[in-house]
Amino acid sequence: MNRSPIKLLVLTLAPALLGLAVFRAYPIGLALYESLYTTIGGERAFIGLGNYLDLLTDAGFWKSLRVTLWFNLIINPLQVALALALALMFVQKLPGMAVFRLLFLIPIGISLPVAVIIWRIVLLPEGFLNGVLGGVGLGPYRFLTSPDFALYSIIAIATWKGVSYWMIFLVGGLQNIPPEIGEAARLEGASPWQRLWLITLPLLRPTLLFVLVADVTINFLLFAPVFMLTGGGPRGSTNVLMYEAYKSGFVFGDMGRAMAIVVCLVALLLVIVGIQFRLLSSAPPKETP
Amino acid sequence: MTRLPILTTALAIGLATTAHAQTTLTILMIEGLDKGAMEAVAAQYMQDRADVKVEIQSLPWNQFFQVSEMRLKSGDAAVDLIYTDAPVVAAYAANGYIQPFDAAVADEAKAKLVAPSVTAGTYDGKLYSLPMNSSAQVLYYNVDLLKAAGVTPPNGLTKGSVANPDAIATLASTDRWTFEQIAEAAKAVSGSEGGKAKPWGFAFEQFAELYQLQPLGGSLGSDLISADAMTADSYLNGEAWTKAATWWSDLFNSWNVSPRSLGFGEAAQMFTNGQLAMFVGGTWNVAAVAQSSINFGIAPHPKFADGKAATPTGSWYLSVTKASPDAAAATDFAHYAALSDQGTDIWFDKLNQLPTTNRLLDKINADNSFDAFPASVMRLSAWESRNTAVARPVTVAFSQLQDAFRTAFTDIANGVAVDEALATAVDSYDQAAKRLNRK
Repeated sequence: MNRSPIKLLVLTLAPALLGLAVFRAYPIGLALYESLYTTIGGERAFIGLGNYLDLLTDAGFWKSLRVTLWFNLIINPLQVALALALALMFVQKLPGMAVFRLLFLIPIGISLPVAVIIWRIVLLPEGFLNGVLGGVGLGPYRFLTSPDFALYSIIAIATWKGVSYWMIFLVGGLQNIPPEIGEAARLEGASPWQRLWLITLPLLRPTLLFVLVADVTINFLLFAPVFMLTGGGPRGSTNVLMYEAYKSGFVFGDMGRAMAIVVCLVALLLVIVGIQFRLLSSAPPKETP
Repeated sequence: MTRLPILTTALAIGLATTAHAQTTLTILMIEGLDKGAMEAVAAQYMQDRADVKVEIQSLPWNQFFQVSEMRLKSGDAAVDLIYTDAPVVAAYAANGYIQPFDAAVADEAKAKLVAPSVTAGTYDGKLYSLPMNSSAQVLYYNVDLLKAAGVTPPNGLTKGSVANPDAIATLASTDRWTFEQIAEAAKAVSGSEGGKAKPWGFAFEQFAELYQLQPLGGSLGSDLISADAMTADSYLNGEAWTKAATWWSDLFNSWNVSPRSLGFGEAAQMFTNGQLAMFVGGTWNVAAVAQSSINFGIAPHPKFADGKAATPTGSWYLSVTKASPDAAAATDFAHYAALSDQGTDIWFDKLNQLPTTNRLLDKINADNSFDAFPASVMRLSAWESRNTAVARPVTVAFSQLQDAFRTAFTDIANGVAVDEALATAVDSYDQAAKRLNRK
């Protein structure tokens, strides 16, 4: 029996590869292709890199890019750090942990649009949060309509929704670390802080890498809260690139510009994810015998 | 040899069927009262033309523009006629979604319709869309709330009043309240409570919308964009608009007399609940307000003290799609609905919206049935449409202009500096205009 493993490999990988081709490669290819076209006088016209050259001098695009980068610079470290802290608490065997676990799993069960609607009610000037703050003599604050608050309100909502989800992955990673290692370190006299920095985090690195990459990707493409709560305003303070692309394509019918923005976004994501891979997936230093 | 006669008969039947084949026209439009009116027009049209069947597909307002844009963009031959909001005519024409009417129809339209409504349907010198009706905005005021605040209400049309054409002309040309008077009255009603314990003083029905607020700058003599539609610089950020936007900003940020952001229909609802003393809104609210127990009046649209009267106008149009396989039949229906006496009469009777034909406007002016309140409001609207109406600008980048305007005026209401908000809007529009006008 001379069976080639290649055939088996192809056969088993085919569904995944097909999905990747249809749902990932094809849309990216299509976006690239469409970004080279525009409509002039009702006729579709090839303009090469014209849409990209326009973006270079497009103040709206650059402002949106700045908002996207600032948003991600805050939300990604925040979400990963909070998810890690929650995961570390989650695996502790303390009294009352069942309630804690239940509380933090609730956001996962709520769909993003529903969560956004609930948060809108909480954050409105006459909403719950201002009611509570008013009780102690503060506010009212315009959490969704003030340029100083709106982006941070979006960050808070997305974080509330996302943290528990990423926590689940980190809990899985933590439970994969053999408990003997930590136990041995404890017997050697390592403090809890040392055990976290020197044992838990290095061993959690593959999971952390996945969470970081997936979280960054999702947050760069975040759309629903902006669409539902702020419409990119006030003063463009929440106008992330995804929303700018949506408006360009589906509100203004300027599909060429929308696709050029999407391609820039994908390119930016590829660079950032590439850097993350380089920083986090380097092999751990070899032990000297 | 029986085959030949059978074959001949079959052929004859086939030919006969072809000769009487029905042309089906499909109209894509918004749901609601407009659809009912279009059904009535179509029913009468089909009675006279047995070979044509008119079908109406409707979409909710919030999906209409997106879905119709997609269907038009894809060259969907199943749509023959598209209900077209006035300001998107230029973009639809420039994108090749709709086709122009021939010179005969265009000449007839010019002869029968008021000029601004023909202008708004024209792009690049050709008539692309025929107006179904127009619109007008008036000032609604709560007599009791104003009096309780020590304010003498404006002169206007009130319950039991009768206004002949001369009285309407006098009211609109000499007795129009100013935005400065509105502000003072609103402050008297709201006090420093900002609508918390007291009612709100004043609101515009369509919050921060270009259609609604264009008269602010218009009253001070400024357009929104240049005549060639290439730039908004020194128009939207010019002296007049800066003054207009500052007045708007003060409503929320200094005087605290107007609620920030109102959903569709909320202004009329607050007014009929006694929570709002005055609002500028469409004449379509008259019926609902008249049914309430509020002691109210209707005055002409305000203007600035050192400005001229300018009022919103324009509404829905009907256009023949470029992809229509039955363009001639579709053109005939559009002509019937928008220009024929029978079609326009049915539309007006069913929808009771401000007409665009000189014939119906003359009728409103002359017919005694429009003397009494609230029918007299239609007469006031007709006067405004002929004397003070300012159409929205015709530009292929209208969607972008509207969005930039809405963003700027929402931001201003939320405390962003007027100069900064207007400069951002000008940048957004200029970028879009440059991109969409490239040859």
